[in-house]
Amino acid sequence: MDVEALEQAALAAVAAASSTDAIESVRVEYLGRKSELKLALREVRDRETGMTLNAARERIEAAVGARESELERAELDRRLAEERADVTLPVGGYERGHLHLITQIRREVEDIFLGLGYGVVDGREVESTHYNFDGLNFPPGHPARSPLASLFLDADTLLRTETSPSQVRTMEAQDPPVYIVSLGRVYRRDTPDATHTPVFHQVEGLAVDEGITLADLTGTLDFLFKALFGQERRTEFRTHYFPFTEPSIEAYVSCHVCDGAGCPVCRHSGWIEVGGAGMVDPKLFEFAGYDPERYSGFAFGWGLERIAMLRHEFPDLRELWRNDLRFSGQF
Amino acid sequence: MRVPLSWLREYVETAATPAEIARRLTVSSLEIERVIEVGVSDFDGNLGHFVVGRVLAADPHPNADRLQLCQVDVGNPEPQQIVCGAWNFGAGATVAVGLPGALLPGFAGPLEERPLRGEVSRGMILAEDEIGLGQDHSGIMLLPDGLEPGTPLADVLPLVDHVLDATPTMNRPDLLSMVGLAREVAALCDGALRLPDPEDPPVTSPEAVDVAVEDFGGCPRYIGRGFRNVRVGPSPQWLRTRLHLAGMRSISNVVDVTNYVMHVWGSPLHAFDRAKLAGGRIVVRRAHEGETLRTLDGTERVLLPADLLITDGEKAVALAAIMGGLDSEVSDETTDVLLEAANFEPIGILKTSERLALRTEGSNKWEKGVDPHAAEPAAVLASRLLVDLAGAEPTGSVDVNDGLPERPVVTLRPERSRAVIGLDVPDAEQRSILERLEFEVDEGWQVTVPTFRARDVTREIDVVEEVARVVLDRVPRTMPLRRAVAGHLTAEQRFRRVLEDVVVGAGYSEAYTWSLVPSDPDPAALRLPDPMSGEHAVLRTTLLHGLVEAARVNVDAGNSDIRLFEMARVYLPSGEQLPDERWYLGGIAEGGFAAARGALEAIYGTFHLPLETRRTTLPHLHPGKAAETDAGWLGELHPALLEGTWGVFELDVARLQAPRPERILYEDVITYPAVRQDVAVVVDEDVEAGSIVDVAREAGGAELRDAYIFDVYHGDQVPEGRKSVAVHLAFQASDRTLTDEEADAARARVVEALRNRFGAELRG
Repeated sequence: MDVEALEQAALAAVAAASSTDAIESVRVEYLGRKSELKLALREVRDRETGMTLNAARERIEAAVGARESELERAELDRRLAEERADVTLPVGGYERGHLHLITQIRREVEDIFLGLGYGVVDGREVESTHYNFDGLNFPPGHPARSPLASLFLDADTLLRTETSPSQVRTMEAQDPPVYIVSLGRVYRRDTPDATHTPVFHQVEGLAVDEGITLADLTGTLDFLFKALFGQERRTEFRTHYFPFTEPSIEAYVSCHVCDGAGCPVCRHSGWIEVGGAGMVDPKLFEFAGYDPERYSGFAFGWGLERIAMLRHEFPDLRELWRNDLRFSGQF
Repeated sequence: MRVPLSWLREYVETAATPAEIARRLTVSSLEIERVIEVGVSDFDGNLGHFVVGRVLAADPHPNADRLQLCQVDVGNPEPQQIVCGAWNFGAGATVAVGLPGALLPGFAGPLEERPLRGEVSRGMILAEDEIGLGQDHSGIMLLPDGLEPGTPLADVLPLVDHVLDATPTMNRPDLLSMVGLAREVAALCDGALRLPDPEDPPVTSPEAVDVAVEDFGGCPRYIGRGFRNVRVGPSPQWLRTRLHLAGMRSISNVVDVTNYVMHVWGSPLHAFDRAKLAGGRIVVRRAHEGETLRTLDGTERVLLPADLLITDGEKAVALAAIMGGLDSEVSDETTDVLLEAANFEPIGILKTSERLALRTEGSNKWEKGVDPHAAEPAAVLASRLLVDLAGAEPTGSVDVNDGLPERPVVTLRPERSRAVIGLDVPDAEQRSILERLEFEVDEGWQVTVPTFRARDVTREIDVVEEVARVVLDRVPRTMPLRRAVAGHLTAEQRFRRVLEDVVVGAGYSEAYTWSLVPSDPDPAALRLPDPMSGEHAVLRTTLLHGLVEAARVNVDAGNSDIRLFEMARVYLPSGEQLPDERWYLGGIAEGGFAAARGALEAIYGTFHLPLETRRTTLPHLHPGKAAETDAGWLGELHPALLEGTWGVFELDVARLQAPRPERILYEDVITYPAVRQDVAVVVDEDVEAGSIVDVAREAGGAELRDAYIFDVYHGDQVPEGRKSVAVHLAFQASDRTLTDEEADAARARVVEALRNRFGAELRG
């Protein structure tokens, strides 16, 4: 047998094979059980012939393998070149819902303050007048104490009118330093209209520590508003009055729509009122048993709905309570 | 409160512009809602077209019955001919004239010379409403005699003005007055204060003024002043204009004086027709039960003993501080006046005015607390004006009080101000700020509070606030130093967030529904005694009602794939003052029981909690498709509650979380593979999947790692009343590979147990 001629013929056949089927035939013909080479190997009696034949077999095998890979790859490329999906065709199938807009904002505010080292406190919604008014230094005769303004269950019990009672409860329960925010539902006797609902959500913040200043309050709110409304916002603070803070201020942020030039969103003032804040009145520290000479603190609070309305510019607050998926699915 | 700047500038001299004044007040004092520009435009010399005129002649128009043809001296050599439709004047009257070219507010173009019924009219004799100085159009404005014709009208009347729309906070009732605002502007804008200080007119015909106060608690001070020969009539133009700009209507000179002085000093006054008071007396006392009074608005008021009354000793003549009585009202016939300049305690007034739903300009001031010291300058100014404007002759004055409150004295540590504010405000600047606000500060920083701030400023921190508000614009933005503070969510808060995310991932959108519902299944649920409406009357113990309504909204909107959840508080009656407030998770979804079950499988699966459901009945659920778990319930909504097939569920979040292990221990499920076997058994129709799995688990022992039903078949292959249930069993040990023999034995135990328990037959 002319091994060299056989190898030449095999390699020529490998080179000529143009499909994976053809290369398989080549493999059977030259390397299969009944191939000339296999039969010759079976007959081998001397070492030298065996080595020659085996070397030729290995070379043929390698050539067949390499050609086979080449052809497989070419066939795959051909098939892939023909296959095509309509990438714009929706397939559906994965259901997903949406968190309520207020929950999204609640989490955003919570996360901002968690990052600043604040804890989150879940206050309660049905409160005693002690925590809702007395402990917050509301004077007798304050309008909020009236059943015309608030929703009472009896003379001493009502639906909380702000999230601030959680301040009093927190200070009663722990010693300074205190850094907390508390978010949740509050209740007022307001007839529902585009900008009022009798139930709405507030965020309340409280920081009590040694050396807390009004400047720390304005700095914290400046940080918050930039986080919520954009880093390019400016903040302004105006004097105000709340029974539980002194000094009290109201916080304004430059309008995110017109950047202060004046537009309908800011009622042409360039500024948007966000909410109230102030230095915790020393009276509250007395109630809590904190030493007002050693500790000072600030508190702030306002409506989450207001942030939602300002950011998303929807016209009617009541939509937040109708739960129409066409509305809620937008956010 | 409306604050015309032309009026304010009479009390405070400052170079500050209206915008600067508004800005300083806004930051440091009170809210300025807006600055309203009023009057005529001063653009392009327009003001020069308005002058004082004297009517030389006024004759009937030859061609028109309703018109007068006037010759008016406007300071030119020749009189100006003007046609006028008003008849409240004649020759000799001093009037306001708009010359040709004048642009009037509300007019499209300037006045022109033009013929009216054949006579040329060269200008217009003005009524107050035509240039924004009032509302009256029944006649033209009559100016005081003696003004020189041709005088610019702007020198005589506030033709151009800015009005601040100001709203003080409730601790600053002193800013509900022109005087209070003038003080503030003087302090903030470096102005010179010139408060009204007229000469108190001397008593000309003395007669005792008889005032008795029986309740100093309700009425700490009562100044009564008598006047005789009062001529009630219209007010002069300057007064009408000021009241108009301040948002009040001119009524008569006497009533206008009380309103004007109230606006100046913030202390409301009242004028009685003294002839209507029995014996001309005043007695201040509480009402008798059921006593009645017809107030100025004509309403008969039924009173309670808590209500404070002004009486004449025999009958009620006014509801103190709120509204006068109809019968003692000053009228055109009035000649004797008793002027009340009093002080009333706020809370009682608030209660009465709230109960009677009667809020007036006066009650609005009293209920915030008025400085009792303001009554006296108010009485003096009012007396002066009654004498000057109505020819009144003072008969006497009495000041009944139980002693006026002392001015609070507070010690301020200037370093305390700096520590609270976080800004270095030097001692000298603090002293100067306080002194400009009329606080007296002595060498030892003893601060004496002015009377008009005595209610509000009683402690050191209150004085610190005075400094802080003035420097507020300069306060830097810093952050707390935060020693030893770490912020994190509690385990419960994290659990709730994950729970929300799981349900959202399962296709549910979050709903917010009212905490107050029309009714609740729990008869003990807390009920508001005085709800806003029947729709919001009861504090819910379940979220179901709100979710059903939210689903209905979406059905009505034509939305599809409706799946809603809510996580909110419910309020369970506790027997204590405050209810047990618990977080519940509720859901509603199209698709009936399976939809609810699917959501719970996703929730329980996420937290690696076994979902064990037991058949139950609940009034709001389909009786055959209702179940409970350890944390709540699920089922198909009773079709009577909402059309369609809805799955609903509700879980108590704390009860759901309670069995969750603190940590999950590793189990080796990798090294030794499980032997998996499926069995199909035929059982009676009413055998529940849950009990088949329970029995299988019990019989399979510890090595039965997993057992679940993957198919239920009814049909030809199975006898009537029976079903075929296919159960997947996975056997696994964590220390060795189970042999086929071991797995077969375990499988046989399971099949045997099912046969014994349910009569289950193994299907080929």
